Amino acid sequence: MKRQLAGLSTLMLFLFSLPVYAGAPLDTVQANVNKVLEVLRDPALKAELAKEIKKDKLRPIYKGMFDDVELSRRTMARNWNNLNVTQRQEFVQLFRQVLEKVYADKIISYNNEKIVFDRETLLSGNQAEVQTRIITSSKEIPVSYRVILKDGAWKVYDVVVEGVSLIQNYRSQFNDILVKNTNEQLLEILRKKVKEQ
Amino acid sequence: MKSFLFPVLLFAILFMGCAHNHHPASTLAPPSASLQPQQVTAASNSVQMPLKSQDMSAKSGGKSLDDMGKGIQEETVVVSDPPEPLATPAGPAKPENESVDHKENLDYVEEEGAEEKVEIADPLEPFNRAMYHFNDKLYFWVLKPVAQGYKKVVPEGARVSVSNFFTNLTFPMRFVNCLLQANFSGAASELGRFTVNTIWGIGGLLDPASSKDINLSKQDEDFGQSLGVYGLGQGFYINWPILGPSSLRDTVGLAGDYFLYPFNYVDPWYAVTGVKAYDKVNNTSLKIGDYESLKEAAIDPYVAIRNAYIQYRQKKVKARGVIPEPARPVGASSTLVGDKAP
Repeated sequence: MKRQLAGLSTLMLFLFSLPVYAGAPLDTVQANVNKVLEVLRDPALKAELAKEIKKDKLRPIYKGMFDDVELSRRTMARNWNNLNVTQRQEFVQLFRQVLEKVYADKIISYNNEKIVFDRETLLSGNQAEVQTRIITSSKEIPVSYRVILKDGAWKVYDVVVEGVSLIQNYRSQFNDILVKNTNEQLLEILRKKVKEQ
Repeated sequence: MKSFLFPVLLFAILFMGCAHNHHPASTLAPPSASLQPQQVTAASNSVQMPLKSQDMSAKSGGKSLDDMGKGIQEETVVVSDPPEPLATPAGPAKPENESVDHKENLDYVEEEGAEEKVEIADPLEPFNRAMYHFNDKLYFWVLKPVAQGYKKVVPEGARVSVSNFFTNLTFPMRFVNCLLQANFSGAASELGRFTVNTIWGIGGLLDPASSKDINLSKQDEDFGQSLGVYGLGQGFYINWPILGPSSLRDTVGLAGDYFLYPFNYVDPWYAVTGVKAYDKVNNTSLKIGDYESLKEAAIDPYVAIRNAYIQYRQKKVKARGVIPEPARPVGASSTLVGDKAP
């Protein structure tokens, strides 16, 4: 009896998990990260001047890898519902630019650190977490990508570095700002942030 | 002891990376995996949910429908057909408009992900913000220039060794706190590390215990975490001058760990202070730039650091007792005890 039950539940597991696993999350993230590394390692782009070219090459990879809107929506959380569509569109644009300004240089300063892909954990039917580690000469930095299945593709909506979630970190900041400011003022702060660097 | 670990949190909290690997995956519960019973049972007009996935979630009844798409019980689940759309009228969500190009139309619905809320009360915010500015200036005006000069003179290898040496000295704190958390495999691992690194690592200058062959990972445990494991909440946020981000609980932890740091028993007091300052400079020299990029990334650096600290500490408390993924091949004692560990 027990064995039958086990068999049945295993069967159910396969039945229901197969369609969800269309493109394993880990493979998707790994493929994207490898694309990024390819650009970073390209010997033709070694020069300092090649920075902008690298950024141009990384942009489409980012687009394919991340779900911008999902990332923004989760970052804003409840506040998202108070924005109208135009504001949302602008927010997505601005937030992406902020992240690009901040992280592009960090990514480009890549110095042959090793990246290990450990495993994936299903968070729910269409969400998963892919765990990786960046290994440098003196330390190991755990980095997790949270991905969501949308239109048949796994897209990143959050990055967790050393246990600190990117979207939660920005959410706390936006929440704090929105306590004292209007949506329009928040957008203005972001516009300034994009321009200043 | 703690005040040694805290420079880490003071200047770069998350980006600095410790030389240990934690595997939080096993502790990450998927809260969204199951359906909310209320939504299912509250069915007034029962409709069979068709097995369509993504585009369905776009409908106004966001939450319940979204869940449907993924739920394992898809077939059996019956949902209420909401008489009026759940979406806020202010929200411009129009299901008909839904397409890939108009993803912005989708409202946010609670619980979509695995992330839980991580916030902390901050009744001392004015004081904390002042201390944040103080620490910021301390870093840019004093610590960073000194560390930069030191970095020019001392090669990286030597600085890593110094850092290893100080880390090795904080072994009592990690060991005792592993025991306090009933993490016996962690305690065994720490004991093994201390023995190996002290004897074969030239008094802790090297870290052979972390090598592939021995593979004993550092257990970053402190009394603040032990209290957290016992169920004590963070209390509220405190940003100490020099020591940096902390909370009520972690401040108590800091005091508790004080007694486990050997250097605190050194006489006279200024020797202790000197050693600590040196350790701090050495540590800073290994991660110049981390604090800068953290600050640059933030819209409001004070809030960003506060949140990062709380997330980081919460994860550490959760990750306790999680046995590192690669099974330890050597160190019979640790595997033996490890079997009994939770």
